[in-house]
Amino acid sequence: MVAHPRTSARPGTVRPLNLPRPIAVEADSSGQPVRVFWQGRLLPVIAIHDRWRIDDEWWREEIARRYFLVELQGGRRLTIFQDLLRDAWYEQPYEPPRRKRSPMSA
Amino acid sequence: MEVACLRVPNFLVALARREFPQLAGRPVIVASAREDGAQVRACSASLAKRGVAPGMALRRALSLCRDAAVATISERDAAREAEALRELVERTSPLVEEVAPGHLHFDVRGLARLAGETEKEFLRDLQEAARSRSGLPVALGAGKNVFVAHAASAAAWLRRGSSGDLLPLLVPAEESESFLAPLPVEVLPVSRTMKVRLRLFGLRTLADVAALPRAALEAQFGREGGRAWELAHGEDDSRIIPRREELSVSVAMELPAPASTVEPLLVATRALIRRALEERALRGAAWRQARWEAALENGETVGRTLTFREPTADGERMLFVLRQKLERLSLPASVVGLELTLSGLCTEYGHQQGFWPTGPRRWRELLEAVEQLHARLGEPHVFRIVEVEPWSRIPERQLALVPFGR
Repeated sequence: MVAHPRTSARPGTVRPLNLPRPIAVEADSSGQPVRVFWQGRLLPVIAIHDRWRIDDEWWREEIARRYFLVELQGGRRLTIFQDLLRDAWYEQPYEPPRRKRSPMSA
Repeated sequence: MEVACLRVPNFLVALARREFPQLAGRPVIVASAREDGAQVRACSASLAKRGVAPGMALRRALSLCRDAAVATISERDAAREAEALRELVERTSPLVEEVAPGHLHFDVRGLARLAGETEKEFLRDLQEAARSRSGLPVALGAGKNVFVAHAASAAAWLRRGSSGDLLPLLVPAEESESFLAPLPVEVLPVSRTMKVRLRLFGLRTLADVAALPRAALEAQFGREGGRAWELAHGEDDSRIIPRREELSVSVAMELPAPASTVEPLLVATRALIRRALEERALRGAAWRQARWEAALENGETVGRTLTFREPTADGERMLFVLRQKLERLSLPASVVGLELTLSGLCTEYGHQQGFWPTGPRRWRELLEAVEQLHARLGEPHVFRIVEVEPWSRIPERQLALVPFGR
């Protein structure tokens, strides 16, 4: 992996990695996922191991997501989130931030 | 009898006396080389009494004994003689330990019965075979264990007749202690310091040592004292440890014309390495060490031993290491023949290669290949991962793909 070059990326040449992929999720009345359509099958969620919320970038295109780390029947673990602004579900592997924001990059 | 000890007393001096008969009756020093800085490798017993010792500078030794004759025996010749002696005994006994060049301990259980002889006849025949084959004086002793056999061979040498006749000395098990009792403490395989201290304590024979309580010896000399007490009583639990068979491969060639520059030597060495590595039984094996020897026109031999940092089966790598040595070589005469010996057979270490071979040249080649690929396909197809906002909580902001090489 290459260290951050501290220069603005040229538009059109950079492809974001790890974009959210739409996924079909059946949620209960409280908004918690109960079944996930995964690899052609509707699998029940047997456990929710973690949950967190991200509200960010309200100053440009607002982001409001509610993440769930779920375990499906069969043992598969997925990180899914509900886009609270569009009311849509996505699957997206999650990595916590590796470094703090640089004071010069704001 | 269980164990026998065969030795050529003062092996190097005996070799020198055999090679140079004119040294008979004279004190002899075997030196490492006839140059300034030469050292004493061995000396005859009379010189040892006058203060000459192995490792001493030859100049100093000669200043102590001006009448001494100096001889040189090459290490290679000495090793060859010792090996011939060992091979002779190995043909007789299945368990042979080479304690030092020309000094062997070996198992003799059942061998006499196998040969249809008495033990005395068997050992006498073996001693005679070793003596006639090597042309060296050979002392032989046998006993119930290694130390008794060792002491018996030492005693056999000390008891040789005035005519120089050496007979094997067999010590029956029940007579071991009485046999050892009058022997001097110098036969004990202990440190030189301990031997000196034993003398200072007035302990001259093994009987003197055996008469003391074990605890007293241990209090003075520690574990070595305890072992000396056991040996003085004829008790020794040490075993014969045979040498490990080491595989090696040797190849040699005569050069078509005497060579005095390094280039033809490198060409010949490359051919030798290839031949050695193609040895059918050992193909694919890795080697730790190479011995390169050149026979010179004037009859001398020049050699270099290389130990590879890692075992290798790669001929080019061997040549690379050898080349550095050969280029620094200054030869007194042209080379007429080469010999290469590979030893230290083992398996090659595994190596984890980097995903991208390092080096600016390889990197440039890679960039060029990727550019050509992009040009042919019209759009980037090879990317690298860069950190964009590694601090971001939003996963798709953290990393991105950018075209490789741009």
